[in-house]
Amino acid sequence: MSEDSRSVIIKAEGVSKRFGTVVAVDQVDYQLYENEVAGILGSNGAGKTTFFNLLTGYFLPDEGRILYRGQDVTALTPQQRVAKGMMRTFQLTSTFDNLSVTDNLVLAFFRAHKSSSLWQLLTNTCKKHRKDEKILAILASFDLERVGDRLVRHLGLGEKRRMEIAMAILAEPKVLLLDEPLAGLAESEIKGVLDVLRKQVGKQTILIVEHKISHVEDFLQRLIVMHEGKIIAEGGYECLQNPEVRKSYWQIDATDDASAAAGAAS
Amino acid sequence: MNALRWWWGILLTFALLGIARVFLPLPFMNEVVIFSIYAMGCNFLIGRVGYISFGQPAYLAFGAYACAFYLFYFGTNPYVGILVGVLGGLIVSLLIGPLFVRLRSDYFAMVNLALAVIVFYLTQKVLVGITHGDNGLWFLTRISSTPLLDLTIPSHFFIFSLLLAALVWAFYKYLDDSIYGACCLATKINENKLQFLGYHNFSIRLLAFVIANSTTALAGAMYAVYLGFVSPEMASPSRAADPVIVTILGGVGTLFGPIVGAIAYTGMKDVISKLIGNWELFIGFLLVFIMLVADKGIWGSLAPVLEKWLFRRKSPDSRGHD
Repeated sequence: MSEDSRSVIIKAEGVSKRFGTVVAVDQVDYQLYENEVAGILGSNGAGKTTFFNLLTGYFLPDEGRILYRGQDVTALTPQQRVAKGMMRTFQLTSTFDNLSVTDNLVLAFFRAHKSSSLWQLLTNTCKKHRKDEKILAILASFDLERVGDRLVRHLGLGEKRRMEIAMAILAEPKVLLLDEPLAGLAESEIKGVLDVLRKQVGKQTILIVEHKISHVEDFLQRLIVMHEGKIIAEGGYECLQNPEVRKSYWQIDATDDASAAAGAAS
Repeated sequence: MNALRWWWGILLTFALLGIARVFLPLPFMNEVVIFSIYAMGCNFLIGRVGYISFGQPAYLAFGAYACAFYLFYFGTNPYVGILVGVLGGLIVSLLIGPLFVRLRSDYFAMVNLALAVIVFYLTQKVLVGITHGDNGLWFLTRISSTPLLDLTIPSHFFIFSLLLAALVWAFYKYLDDSIYGACCLATKINENKLQFLGYHNFSIRLLAFVIANSTTALAGAMYAVYLGFVSPEMASPSRAADPVIVTILGGVGTLFGPIVGAIAYTGMKDVISKLIGNWELFIGFLLVFIMLVADKGIWGSLAPVLEKWLFRRKSPDSRGHD
């Protein structure tokens, strides 16, 4: 692969998705560059999560193609995309609540670093991998050591979110796709999750879907804003000052004071 | 410490079953041991993979009839018969599994019940030529004596089935501790996430289906050898809930649940049926009571108390079973 930091890792070409008569994603072209930290912003119902689900293989697009490093992956299953190096998290934390924190991590670790063949699954015990260096290290760096033996269903939302991201990072994917990783978290927890994500910057390509801009301020390197299934702005944070964005996002007319936008964003 | 504890547990359980043999009638003990194997398969499906099946008698019958066909038409060695029975169950579940495991749990329950109905009528009416319909197949006198453990002698059969039950139990204990066991629990509650971690839900479930139903077929083959007789009654849909009842009675997803459930169920059946005519009515009420009060079943409710009492320590909050 190219050493150029601007080489494209994921590309969407004219991707559309309809649900009945609603066009959730409308002819979107998008490029995600290697090792960047990018964001998809937009108000509720803007099509961010649907677009994200198209990228990760949760849905198949009605039109268009998804390319991963130049290769067409549109028809690949989620498992095949995982094997290529794409790993996602879910908006509503998606974990195995009936397993311990460590065993959740073991499952993420085992698939990524060993195998998913039934024979390997049968001949390896969880116990053997619970003390693996990588798992211990990630428990420590995500501040989850205390709760390692606890069932996930007994965790708080912040801990669960951190654990889900830990699972994704443990798999050492090329692209980390995070669907609203900060939703529903308290301020202190948001800081914890962002601290964890900051450690990954430069190691992986990170794409974050986020609803609240204030959460990810000074974290994203490049962002797009979606509205009614289309990308209406792209670039740095300055693109949020785009009148169209302000109108769609905060229902603020271009004539209003910019401080009102800042107020609404937080 | 933990490892020591479960080995002690299982040794104690099977030793107790062995000792109980001295005080309790042999047919009862044999019934308990075979039933607990039957329930272990069901317990794995419900507790680990989250599939409730009301069609377990079908798989019991596959094992029993495969074994019976062998012993009635071909050979005389009961060990080979049991092996044939297990293989029969294995092959059938490999064939129908790919169709069934795609279903959601509620449909899975119903489609299995339908299978039990089909198997019942196949053995009773359609394949009368080889199954002898309601008369069943009798082959008790054909079963040959074998050296060491002679399965034609009930007390030998008991030792054999006890050993086999311990083996099956240890196998499920091993599965529980494996990465595969964790995958089963994972696919039970969040198949989406498992898929997005890169695992194949389908093959994980198919394997669980095959393992559980081969265990059930093993129980069927053991019934066949023990009774020297099979009839369509074995696949009767009216007995469809039995293994599920035993599993729930014992405690879903617990390793000792099937054994405790089988003892409780067979015991109640034996004792209560002698005291009152309609023992099934009593069991019905008892089940309602258990569902409402102690949804963890007998073992599931007793285990924490016992553990506290025996080891004087709080039970650790480790891997769950529900």
